[in-house]
Amino acid sequence: MSAGGGEGESPRATDRPDAGSGLNSHTDGIDLRLEGSLSALAGATGEAPPMSGALAAELDGLAPATMRMPRRAWAAVLVISLFYALGLLAWMGVRDDLDRLPAMWLYGVGAVWLAAFLAIGWLILVPPRRQVMPRWRSATALAGLAALLLMVGGLILPESVATVGATYAPSVASVFEHGHSCLRAGLAVAVVPIVVSALAVRGAVPVGSRWVAVAIGAAGGALGGLILHLHCATGERFHIGLVHGGLIVVSAALAAIAARVGERIRWARER
Amino acid sequence: MSVEADLMTRYCDGDAGAFRELYSRVAPRLVAYLQRMSGERATAEDLVQHTFLKVHGARAAYVRGADPVPWMFAIARRTFLDEARRRKRARVQVSGGDGRLPEVAAALDGTPAADGGAAASPDPDLVHAALSALSRLPPAQREALILTKMSGKSIAEAAAITGVSAGAMKLRAHRAYVALRRALAAVGVGGAS
Repeated sequence: MSAGGGEGESPRATDRPDAGSGLNSHTDGIDLRLEGSLSALAGATGEAPPMSGALAAELDGLAPATMRMPRRAWAAVLVISLFYALGLLAWMGVRDDLDRLPAMWLYGVGAVWLAAFLAIGWLILVPPRRQVMPRWRSATALAGLAALLLMVGGLILPESVATVGATYAPSVASVFEHGHSCLRAGLAVAVVPIVVSALAVRGAVPVGSRWVAVAIGAAGGALGGLILHLHCATGERFHIGLVHGGLIVVSAALAAIAARVGERIRWARER
Repeated sequence: MSVEADLMTRYCDGDAGAFRELYSRVAPRLVAYLQRMSGERATAEDLVQHTFLKVHGARAAYVRGADPVPWMFAIARRTFLDEARRRKRARVQVSGGDGRLPEVAAALDGTPAADGGAAASPDPDLVHAALSALSRLPPAQREALILTKMSGKSIAEAAAITGVSAGAMKLRAHRAYVALRRALAAVGVGGAS
């Protein structure tokens, strides 16, 4: 069996359930007999069952399929998403206090948003070498880390940034009142990367599809956050932390819900 | 590139013969795995047909040169879980409803096949007891043992197929093995104390 494990891991000789447990260190007696029983229970693999009519019919006039090219798919998602996001930014307008913001904050935070979008997208769309399934576990972990970093980063907003932007009384009501338009704009940006990423990875995720959806949603949310960073002139800490940073979480949650709904529709159709 | 990867690539390029060859190589392994999961040979064969139909439908998702087998196992597992859900079976048994044992691995001359040593001649009582203990394991542990001990998958492959981390898979398989060993020792099978 050739290597094919997930997350870029290669199977090893010691990569067994009882490796290092000491169970195989004395394979006389019950262990050896248990191994024999498990081998017996494994059953004969034997011949392949005859192909069903439906499967055989699919082979009549089999046409070549365009195989997935992950790096190219990632690049395509990147170009389409950035083109769309920058178009939306041009339409919504760039924040008018851009030249007064500290360059470190402007470029540093912008780079984090962009890096989160690129890296999560890469992990979801480009599988490890010689594998088909994406690294959804790493992608989800990175999405969580990015969300945490950007939310906390917003909540501890430096004074030099907070004094530049527009402010409002920091209450739950005002965060919601001022936040919903940013959330709407961010989600509008996130829609396209989510849809094109889902199309690009379709068929490659028989396991962890909900987590893949979470990661894809987070990547879209990161791009939305980048656009909000360049569009929204609010300097309120809770707004930046909870609304802009929280966009990753909201987008990921909505994508997961959409995946769940899609799954239920598929089950209903198959029933 | 593995043989399966080469066949899958040729199949995606439109070679129906490569698909048949791939089917003849992979289908028996999938049947064996699904039979262990469902306990029914007919169900397993049916699920394999569905699995290959899904593979056919999703062949555009295949990456040239990649090993398709773990992906196919993951699709087979998904198909099995969907079927189990469809049947509203809360707990899928390893053994069939008729209580018979699954087919025992056998060589072409009819002798039991095994890796060698004493494992070549399993004690029938121990096999029955192991089967019974296996069916009482929690589903996740049972699946871990089936993949790693009975389907020949490495921990990393089994983890990729089931969608858990390699560490979690190793823990599940280890716990399953220990539980199975304890269960057999408790009933005094095989001279265990």
